[in-house]
Amino acid sequence: MFKLKVSDAKLLRDMATAISILVDEATFKIESDGLKLRAMDPSRVAMIDFEWPKSVFQEYEATEPTKICLNISELLKLLKRAGKDESVELGLDDKTGKLLVTIMGKYARKFTMSMLEPSEEEVPTPKISFNVKAKTTTSGLSQAIEDAQLVSDHVKIEAETDKITLSATGDIMGATITIQKGTDALLDLEVKENAKATFSLSYLSEIIKAAAASSEIATLEFSTDMPVKIDFQQAKEGKLTFFLAPRIETE
Amino acid sequence: MNLAEIAKYAKIKGLNLVGTGDFTHPLWLKEIRETLSPEQDTGLLKLAKGDSPIRFMLQTEVCTIFDYQGESKKVHHVILAPSLEVVDQINERLKRFGDLASDGRPILDATAPQLVEEVMAVSGDNMVFPAHAWTPWFSIFGAFSGFDTIEDCYQDMTKYIHALETGLSSDPPMNWRLSKLDRYALVSNSDCHSFWPWRIGREANVFDLPDFTYNNVVSAVSDNDPERFKFTIETDPAYGKYHWTGHRNCKVSLSPPEAIKFGNVCPVCRRKLTKGVEQRVEELADRPADYKQPNAPGFKRLLPLSEIICAVLGTDSPAIQAVWKPYNALVEKFGDEYTVLLDTPYEAMALVVDAPFAQAIVKVRDGTAKVTPGYDGVYGQLVLGSDVPVVKPKPPQAPKVQQRSMSDFFGA
Repeated sequence: MFKLKVSDAKLLRDMATAISILVDEATFKIESDGLKLRAMDPSRVAMIDFEWPKSVFQEYEATEPTKICLNISELLKLLKRAGKDESVELGLDDKTGKLLVTIMGKYARKFTMSMLEPSEEEVPTPKISFNVKAKTTTSGLSQAIEDAQLVSDHVKIEAETDKITLSATGDIMGATITIQKGTDALLDLEVKENAKATFSLSYLSEIIKAAAASSEIATLEFSTDMPVKIDFQQAKEGKLTFFLAPRIETE
Repeated sequence: MNLAEIAKYAKIKGLNLVGTGDFTHPLWLKEIRETLSPEQDTGLLKLAKGDSPIRFMLQTEVCTIFDYQGESKKVHHVILAPSLEVVDQINERLKRFGDLASDGRPILDATAPQLVEEVMAVSGDNMVFPAHAWTPWFSIFGAFSGFDTIEDCYQDMTKYIHALETGLSSDPPMNWRLSKLDRYALVSNSDCHSFWPWRIGREANVFDLPDFTYNNVVSAVSDNDPERFKFTIETDPAYGKYHWTGHRNCKVSLSPPEAIKFGNVCPVCRRKLTKGVEQRVEELADRPADYKQPNAPGFKRLLPLSEIICAVLGTDSPAIQAVWKPYNALVEKFGDEYTVLLDTPYEAMALVVDAPFAQAIVKVRDGTAKVTPGYDGVYGQLVLGSDVPVVKPKPPQAPKVQQRSMSDFFGA
């Protein structure tokens, strides 16, 4: 038995949008202290680690730990029907065993949605020691990624003590984007050791675009040829973190 | 392309027998009738003009598209026939299932058992077998629209199926891994669609027969008798266009374990990967990779001479003069391409062409050359290694970028 109420439907919609970038069928854990999801995309290149503590919710009831699996695209269809300042409530319809989605605004709308078999897979925390931590604006990061996307499908990110460099090389064109420490785009940079790693631009671009709706600040952590961890600071409490595995240059 | 050109290059290659191809197509059949003449009492044909030693077997390939247990199945089949009269009768029956003039390989609105029933009703001497049995699309075991067993495909007509064409991307040892294929002969044909020597005779079947007749060839195959069906000539299966799993647009090529690690999803664009033959065999196999089938015809691994020369010259274009020159020199000196590839000693070849060409040929013959596996429609690439001093190395390519999986970092 659970009942989760979010006062602003947009919050929930943005969260579902961010998750839908990687996962079609999302298995959420509803625990006494909050809502959690950790999942990898089908190709296991990227991972999402999401948590909303109960304080994010206007109402939060979870009598016992529960797992629910939802088709996230279908949920998004419903959430897109919610207007500004409307609230959303998620609960279990005892009669049908389906998810009950109630959108409350000028009038109340109730939708039911079948739930899927929850995944039994427990996705572990990646064991990575990061040498670089860079705090950027989400918009600045997004611009740099868009620039790199003009010329290639992957980007090399390099960190030195005072700057981050993104370089991309395509068949016809190349691009180098330098972001200096202390500028509006790069708010902070900690470098234990210079590092560089290459990542898929399609993943990066989609992740950043989706997370930008709910976050203005992104913190990147990476080491040479290791996954990048991108933590998107949430307006309210909560965690929205992505991991993306690197691409390795081979001869 | 015409039959005289096919005969010319078949001779250069060292072949004795080639399929006519496309006997279901009315215009090509007209050309067959005008250009070839039946040889007395053999069931084979030869060029009507000249004294070419090449014999032709009446042959076609057709595509059946049909539903099986709620899924659409698309399977290509090879048909062999002993005479033009029989061909006319086959065509008369098959035209009820589709427009035979639409394509050299017509699409038939018939099930696989229907096709076999129609063909075998004309003559018990006809032969039908699944074409390129493992390719992802349009094949009996294809990952996208195929079956798991021959019996599921051909149903009660399976009794007429005695062979399967392994295709470029698989070889006999890969097929031996499925005990359910034990009773079938494994034939190797080029499916060349071209007479050029880097296509025709890439794969071939070698027989030792009392007389060179249609019935002797077909019965040697049907009986899967290693005394008469001696061996097949195989390209390295990695050379085939669908050996590994991958995605051509994203230049992603993955071995079966890697593809499974990525959930058979392209790690670049996240679309479904084209499952390669090696992975598909792995799924259906019930024997280990090193299993050797007793009493089966043997096999020899070769690659087209033009491809070997290309690797030495560092080019991807087999049709350029720089490739033809050593090719022609070797073939003129030693008679035909198979003789060069299979039998000619290094020392003899090195007197005719630059030593690296001879070295590369011997390396392919010995099985010590490597082939970068083909994937999703991209041919495999011959890699000769540093011990062959290439005449002109290929220009350095941009470094390849290989995607890692998050799973690689959980235990680090």
